[in-house]
Amino acid sequence: MLSCNDICLDYVEATRVTHALKGVSLDFSPNKLHGIMGPSGSGKSSLLYILCGLKSPTAGNVALDGTSITNMSDAACARLRSQKFGFVFQQPFLLNYLTALENILVGINPDELSASVQKAESLLSYLGLDGMGDKYPSMLSGGERQRVAVARALIGNPDIVFADEPTAALDKDNGYKVMSALADWAVDHTVIVVTHDADMLKGADVIHHLIGGCLVDDQPSNVR
Amino acid sequence: MRHPLSPFTYLTRNPSKVLPMGFVIVLCVFLIAAVASIANSIDLTVRTIYRYTEFFTYVIPQRSTQSVPMDQRAILEMQPEIDRIIEGGVFFVNIKTVVGRLPFVVIGSTPEERDYLLKRIRATLVEGRMPEEGKPEVVVSQPILENRNLKLGDVIAGPLDDGGIAGSPVPVKVVGVLKSDIWVAMSSRTFTDKTFLLTPKCLLFTTKVPSDLDVVNERLMPVGRKGDGFLSPEKVNVLTRANLLAEVRDSLSSMYMIMEVVSATVIFVIALMSGMLSNIYFTQRIPEFGVLAALGISRARLMMKIVWETVILTVIAWAIGSVLSVFLLTYLAANVFKQRGLFLDAMDPWAYQHTLPIPVAITIFAMVTVWVRLKRLDAVSVIERR
Repeated sequence: MLSCNDICLDYVEATRVTHALKGVSLDFSPNKLHGIMGPSGSGKSSLLYILCGLKSPTAGNVALDGTSITNMSDAACARLRSQKFGFVFQQPFLLNYLTALENILVGINPDELSASVQKAESLLSYLGLDGMGDKYPSMLSGGERQRVAVARALIGNPDIVFADEPTAALDKDNGYKVMSALADWAVDHTVIVVTHDADMLKGADVIHHLIGGCLVDDQPSNVR
Repeated sequence: MRHPLSPFTYLTRNPSKVLPMGFVIVLCVFLIAAVASIANSIDLTVRTIYRYTEFFTYVIPQRSTQSVPMDQRAILEMQPEIDRIIEGGVFFVNIKTVVGRLPFVVIGSTPEERDYLLKRIRATLVEGRMPEEGKPEVVVSQPILENRNLKLGDVIAGPLDDGGIAGSPVPVKVVGVLKSDIWVAMSSRTFTDKTFLLTPKCLLFTTKVPSDLDVVNERLMPVGRKGDGFLSPEKVNVLTRANLLAEVRDSLSSMYMIMEVVSATVIFVIALMSGMLSNIYFTQRIPEFGVLAALGISRARLMMKIVWETVILTVIAWAIGSVLSVFLLTYLAANVFKQRGLFLDAMDPWAYQHTLPIPVAITIFAMVTVWVRLKRLDAVSVIERR
């Protein structure tokens, strides 16, 4: 289980200090879709990046299954992200010189490559991208690219998927397709989605609200 | 299937980024190889023109005498390796070289001695005939004819010749052509004796085993330590391959130094330029590396990816540059330099050795600059830059 305890994050600019997160503590129970909602500047993306070890908090601690990841070395943290975590960003960030299939496989270890190709093709099919594996990102629509990014996040069978505004750049239809895929994944894995769009979190098991860097309350979803 | 992060995937799918850098390296390799080959060609030219010194050695009297003193000749006769000592009259004809006209020796010998020497260098008459006794005629090997752009029957030396010691008071014609890649010119002893009265007579000697010539030469008058040999430098001088090369290399040492400085400067500038190009390409690829770092690809693996991309590119470009240099220099050697009396080895290993620092310097420069930037890479700032 992923948990964070008393997370604080300060940004110092010249003599001005901005408190982005003010003592946030949360437990993310497994096999659930967790939503983190809040207005712009509430600190939700910062919290997500701290949870996955991409950012260091000013104070507080993040633990995965009881082991702190806050003070891990760069290399250990990279290994953890590669083995246990999957990521979907607001933009798909696909490498434009790789095909859709290659983009999905980009984070796979070379010795697991041949075994993962079949799985990548299945994921493409599952996400409605049949026959698009050999297409380059420039040949795909925005929605298709984001679904390729979802497949890239899922290919390594991660325990936890982190999604930062994964539907922000998509229309409603494509947004729902992406969220549906993430909700399916949450059946037997943990998915943490940051968004400001309440519609997209209709299928969430738990929604955490952040306002001004403080956790307001936890609301179970009434949909699932 | 090749891994998506394989360096070959990036190199083959990004020609607009790879080719300019590769092209710069190819040109740089050619530039260095050409400069080094041309510098070394002076040495090769001397070795080619005076290659007859591999077969016999001249002993020339010092200016005070008209022939080699008897005591010096006696020393030669005492050397067990020497096969034959021949006294010859000499005169000189001009040959074209990259440093201008140079005098080339024509040996005046008896028909029997001439046949012996030509057999030694494995030269055979392919056109015309041998010079007649006492007549102003010479037989020359093909490279001399090509160098002077002459044909059978043309005058090779005469009273109107420019240049210091080269020339003849009477026009001397080419009456025979020898098939040999060794530069050699021969006339009759009677002609040289009656025409070049003031030119000293020299001795030339051969050894029973040709490979012993260097040993005997070194014993008679060691290179750089003339006074330590059996012969007296006050009375005679010897013209050997070793002292010819030593003199050429000594006189060219400043030029070689200048060439080293030029090569080092070119390599530094190219490495700097390539390092800057690497940095520009790296800047363009920051989103790629930021995302890969966020996905869990370690900095060490990203660094290795860049290192391999750079190594593969520089090695391939170096190889292409070397092959291109061989072809271009071969063409230039045959069609441009040879006519100007410059012999160039298009496959001179010394020249290509000088190009090796190019891929090494570029790789080191790219590694250092990219590593510094990779250390500072913040994946979150890349992802959040929307």
